Amino acid sequence: MGILERLRTTIFGEPSKDIAKQRLQVILQYDRAGLPPNMVEAIKDAILKALKDFHFVDVSGVNITVAQENTDKEKIEIEIPVKLR
Amino acid sequence: MADKVFCITSGKGGVGKSTITGNLATALAAKGYKVVAIDADTGLRNLDLILGLENRIVYDLVHVVEGVCPVEKALVKDKRTKNLYLLPAAQTKDKSAVKPEDLMKIVETLRKNFDFIFIDSPAGIEEGFKTAVAPADAVIVVANPEIASIRDADRVTGLCEAMGKQEPRLIVNRLDPKKVARKDMLDADEVVEILGLELLGVVPEDKNMVAYINKGEPAVLFEDSIAGRALRNIAERILGKEVPIEEFKYSESLWDKIKKVFGGGD
Repeated sequence: MGILERLRTTIFGEPSKDIAKQRLQVILQYDRAGLPPNMVEAIKDAILKALKDFHFVDVSGVNITVAQENTDKEKIEIEIPVKLR
Repeated sequence: MADKVFCITSGKGGVGKSTITGNLATALAAKGYKVVAIDADTGLRNLDLILGLENRIVYDLVHVVEGVCPVEKALVKDKRTKNLYLLPAAQTKDKSAVKPEDLMKIVETLRKNFDFIFIDSPAGIEEGFKTAVAPADAVIVVANPEIASIRDADRVTGLCEAMGKQEPRLIVNRLDPKKVARKDMLDADEVVEILGLELLGVVPEDKNMVAYINKGEPAVLFEDSIAGRALRNIAERILGKEVPIEEFKYSESLWDKIKKVFGGGD
């Protein structure tokens, strides 16, 4: 990214086509795998419920992504960060 | 054996399927191939308008299916381009009037007498789409570089594969280099990256296109049409010629660049 572009991004935010691209990458993975659109939220809720007694877990940092291993294999990756003392 | 029967589809409506079908059929016929364009959009026929043949329709696809006339009798001979024929859609029936096996049978009959057969698919993913895709040797998916169209293109790609078709090739239609330069539109290579399809061509936004459609004159017949030139190149690629994909760059003036830096532009 050139200096002008970086300046522009800082001032005016991310270009809309980059947002479109990110949204599409998520949408297509869900569509292709036939996953329900609220899957991330539903899993997150369940995990937060399950983890609420574990104080060393940073629930605010739980991250759920759909990752493609090969062309025909999708997996759900759940990242559960541990709170640092 | 080389592909002879092509289905042009998109999922989303209004992305330019009929325009592309009419133009590719015209371009190949103008090169001397015998071509038939089939409008499979029963109930919403449009391909006749692109070719300027709306006043010459006597019989249509549903007449052929119902056995009212043989397919040869329903073909409308193009008024400009020798070797080009249109098999029009019925305007008063619905999509259930033509089943996949009906169109497959008709295409089998036509296959013997034509070099190329182009099927203009209806929008959507229901029975009309399935009928249009069924007889195709190869599928061409048309997408505009915008989010809804790309999503739908991915959906029809999946359905084509489920129907046992070889992977569709992609035409990115209505690419606006100015919007790409402004980073408000995905570039063709980004659409390719997202969809993972082989790129058959890129057709740039052409402000003159509406006039060609108004007049019922396919843009490929005009040397000075930028979209027409891109479509002629796609026709060449269909023939197996290696024509490089064009790059459509918007050349900004210094003033445009200054405006862009300061958040302007139109």
